[in-house]
Amino acid sequence: MKGLYRLCFIALFLMALLVAGVLFALIFRLSFKELWDAISSAEVLFALRLSLLTSLGAIIIALILGLPSGYLLARRSFRGKAILDTLLDIPLVMTPLVAGVGLLFLFGNTFLGRHLAKVGINLIFSPWGAVLAQAFIASPIIARTCKAAFEEVSPRYEWAAQTLGIRPLRTFFRVTLPMARQGILSGIVLAWARAIGEFGATLMVAGSTRMKTETLPIAVFLNISSGEIGIALSCALILIAVGFIILLILKQIGNNHRPGLPMKGIG
Amino acid sequence: MAVISLVNVRNLILKDISFEINEGEIFALVGPSGAGKTTLLQVLAGLAPYTGRIFSDAGSLDGVPPYKRRMGYLFQDLLLFPHLTVEGNLTIAMGREIVGKKQKRERATELLILMGISALAKRFPHELSGGEQQRVALARALASSPGILLLDEPFSSLDFRIARYLRLEFKRLQRMLGFNALFVTHNMEEARELADRIGVLKDGRLVHVVKPDDLWLKADPGEGAFLEQPNILNVCNQRETGNGLIEVEWAGLRFFVPDEGKGFERVAIRPGDIFISTLDPPGPPVNRFKGRIKKITEAEGMALIHLTVGGEEIDVEITIEYLRTLNLSTGDQVCGILKLRSLHGC
Repeated sequence: MKGLYRLCFIALFLMALLVAGVLFALIFRLSFKELWDAISSAEVLFALRLSLLTSLGAIIIALILGLPSGYLLARRSFRGKAILDTLLDIPLVMTPLVAGVGLLFLFGNTFLGRHLAKVGINLIFSPWGAVLAQAFIASPIIARTCKAAFEEVSPRYEWAAQTLGIRPLRTFFRVTLPMARQGILSGIVLAWARAIGEFGATLMVAGSTRMKTETLPIAVFLNISSGEIGIALSCALILIAVGFIILLILKQIGNNHRPGLPMKGIG
Repeated sequence: MAVISLVNVRNLILKDISFEINEGEIFALVGPSGAGKTTLLQVLAGLAPYTGRIFSDAGSLDGVPPYKRRMGYLFQDLLLFPHLTVEGNLTIAMGREIVGKKQKRERATELLILMGISALAKRFPHELSGGEQQRVALARALASSPGILLLDEPFSSLDFRIARYLRLEFKRLQRMLGFNALFVTHNMEEARELADRIGVLKDGRLVHVVKPDDLWLKADPGEGAFLEQPNILNVCNQRETGNGLIEVEWAGLRFFVPDEGKGFERVAIRPGDIFISTLDPPGPPVNRFKGRIKKITEAEGMALIHLTVGGEEIDVEITIEYLRTLNLSTGDQVCGILKLRSLHGC
């Protein structure tokens, strides 16, 4: 067995080396001064702001769509549920670039797109397109995690609430939602991570116009293409920092098993 | 005045259930598991479908959603909200009749004092013992000011002594607050101790509604196989001894029965309340008999021994372990004692 473990250790070491190498290459490519100048440039600040705003908008839309969907899927069985459930999984396995092409064809110069444009909603090649693309990717993640979180809460608690005279809507907000809180929070964080790092679909729907639809990943792409290493790296490092923050938050949610939050077999 | 009446209530499990629960009454439903006891509670609470009609004193309940039925339901698994404190569990259950956070908290404190657990207000459910959780659940059900309390095996998960204590507490509270209650149990002792009337449910049918003292007489072996069948002894030559006992004759022997202040012709004793051994045990020579073993049946760790005593017959229940220790077999003679406090005139 010892020889086998040694081989496995070599594999693990190589992987860790690769990850560390990538981080190292990104961080130490430029001097601190060059990096700082780039980070405080108008373009990086614009990209950061746009990414935060579009991902926030996408998460709000994803929550509005995904939370009720997850609840319904967790609680009810109905005709066609299996089909809908599978349909929701498709964006999770679809290449975002292809999803973007699909969104472009659906909302572009089509009946739907033209009518939305008439009422002033221009999705294609505008920041709103970035919101749409990110929401498309984030919604199924929220729906999935919410479904799992609600399944953890026995519907018997809702029965108990109702026999106590608590109305269904109040039951949802005061009993079910708080009991599923942890799973939902993890879902939001994961979906946000996907949304803020989203590139392929955003590129297709919103395009890559400097200082207009330039989210952080788009900024990395644009500036590497044009040789502006400083700005590209700044944006990349911000994305790495976001990743770290997300890992920390998830760990915190996991540790923070507050008294009484869903435990199995309440006695 | 009936607080709840059911008329021909049926669904997949229940078959034409009709009965009433009267003002201030505790009604017990007993029956074997699978008889439909819990289903009946769920039907009343509006949590399970049914046909037929259910009325409360405020009118028909058919089609009324659970949150408008005013049925306080004490679930077997309690279902205290784990994310709320004890106080939070109570205040969330208070309806619109109590306005304002402060008033709600005061009412919660009142209820917790009644239950003797006011010190636990800020604790979370998982920080409480089983008995404490039970009290919180009862307090919460009362906090919703229900028209009737539905209790599903309320004391079955608890240690025997705690269960007994809580039963007494429950009775005290019921007398004090005067609420109506319907509880289901498979524990006959519990039903006899708490209920004003008892309904026997079997295969979805309500086969009897009786007063606690009549239960043993009404439930015949076919229907009440789940009931530990008591021995019913036909006694004669009764004589009051003047010290709270009545002397009776059975199988040619003299026995003493506690005087419960009412006349009787028969005496009931559960098989588990009869002591037997191979030698005459020490102690006062009261309520003793000698019998011969006619048959031994073993089931679920217990042995039912069928004895003949001077031409009469009686069943005794002992553990299989004890049976092995005594090394008994059919035809052996045993000495027995009918425990005085377990004899009931009926």
